[in-house]
Amino acid sequence: MNKKNVCITLGIMCFLLTVAIIIQFNTIKNANMIAGQGGVSTELKDEVLKWKEKYDQTFKELEKSEEELEIQRESASNNDLVSSEKQEELKLANILLGLTQVSGRGTIITVEDNKNVTSETIGALENISDYMVHAEDLWMIVNELKNARVEAISINDERIIANSSITCEGNVILINGNVVSSPFVITSIGSPEAIIGALDRPDGIIDFLERDGVIVNMEGKEKVTIPKYNGIIDVKYIRNAD
Amino acid sequence: MKKGKWTIIVTIGIMSFILVLVMFMQFKVVEQTDIVGIENMRDTELREALADWKEKYEETNKKLEENRAKISEYKEKISENKEVSEILEKELEEANIILGKTDVEGDGVIITLTDNDEKTYTYSNILDLINELKFAGAEAISINDIRVIGNTYIANISNRYIILNNNNKITSPYVIKAIGDQNNMQSNLSIKGGYIYVLSGNGYTINMEAKKKIKIYKHEGELDLKYIEK
Repeated sequence: MNKKNVCITLGIMCFLLTVAIIIQFNTIKNANMIAGQGGVSTELKDEVLKWKEKYDQTFKELEKSEEELEIQRESASNNDLVSSEKQEELKLANILLGLTQVSGRGTIITVEDNKNVTSETIGALENISDYMVHAEDLWMIVNELKNARVEAISINDERIIANSSITCEGNVILINGNVVSSPFVITSIGSPEAIIGALDRPDGIIDFLERDGVIVNMEGKEKVTIPKYNGIIDVKYIRNAD
Repeated sequence: MKKGKWTIIVTIGIMSFILVLVMFMQFKVVEQTDIVGIENMRDTELREALADWKEKYEETNKKLEENRAKISEYKEKISENKEVSEILEKELEEANIILGKTDVEGDGVIITLTDNDEKTYTYSNILDLINELKFAGAEAISINDIRVIGNTYIANISNRYIILNNNNKITSPYVIKAIGDQNNMQSNLSIKGGYIYVLSGNGYTINMEAKKKIKIYKHEGELDLKYIEK
């Protein structure tokens, strides 16, 4: 009787052990596969880095060629009046497109996530999200600045050009496809009086953001500098229909 | 008898120990498998990044070659002592197309926003749409045939009117034309959580159609600069 019991116990244990070992083997097989994939990732990473480097280098060459082109264009057109007029017009067009660094009178507005609050310290009815700056807020500020007739805008290092968008992907804000994060320094060239008047009014965008708990600071400046657009403006779908 | 009992206890003890060990290993591997999930995701992200950089590189390279061709054109004219207004004209035309100083045409989408009894569009709805279209790569946009250019702003003046650029009042139905990659624009707006998905889910009347050869008119008015130092 006792012997039979022992046999059954041992039998069950052996069975369990076998099952566990088989599972273990299977998992090891999987683990090997994982190791293999890890190899692919490093290769892929190298590849990404290689192309990024190629791009960086080409972009530098492109910048040099822009300068060279400008020089040649100028020296080729200063002999006749028609050409030099067109050359001036082209210069203006490139400023408007955002292809050059510009400076002038303007305003610097800084909006910042409020880090003094956490989900624990705010009231039960409040939303922590109100204390942060969102893509829509920045887009709204850009619209208000255009309303105040500014001539150039940048947010952090990103020049806002005609086809710039400000969107979010998960927790990050993208401008011109690049990640920008708080604090957001919004620089604009235009009349500081007009800009501050348009933005800093009751129920205006600044008022709205401050009431939400976002940190906002705004000051007029005699001279601000705005970087050129850090990319390529290219069209594939539109054709001249004049 | 006593010796046999000891053997059994020891055997069972060892077996239990081994079993526990195997189970722990098992747990560890399961944890690792979770990491693999992220690792795999990173792989697809890496592939996307790779495609992005390649595309950016090719664009840059193309532009670089164009610039070099222009430089040698200018140099040639300089050495032949000829005037360059024709080359300048070509460069100006390219710039003016992008600036919105010419009528343009191309394939794209037309989106119509119409107020209904329950829902009225405000300027921020239109502002959002323009942002989304630009994100999806729209190259030219107009709202009720008013061209959206770099310094276009949109503001509310009442529930019935929205103001655009200087003094262009517009009202429902708002017809937004955009030229660009049709697939990109359509999928960006209609995916789950996208612009059209959200608004039509909230009872707004909205319609989008893809169209070939859309015409968008030029911006009326001068573009000049007062504050930028030249």
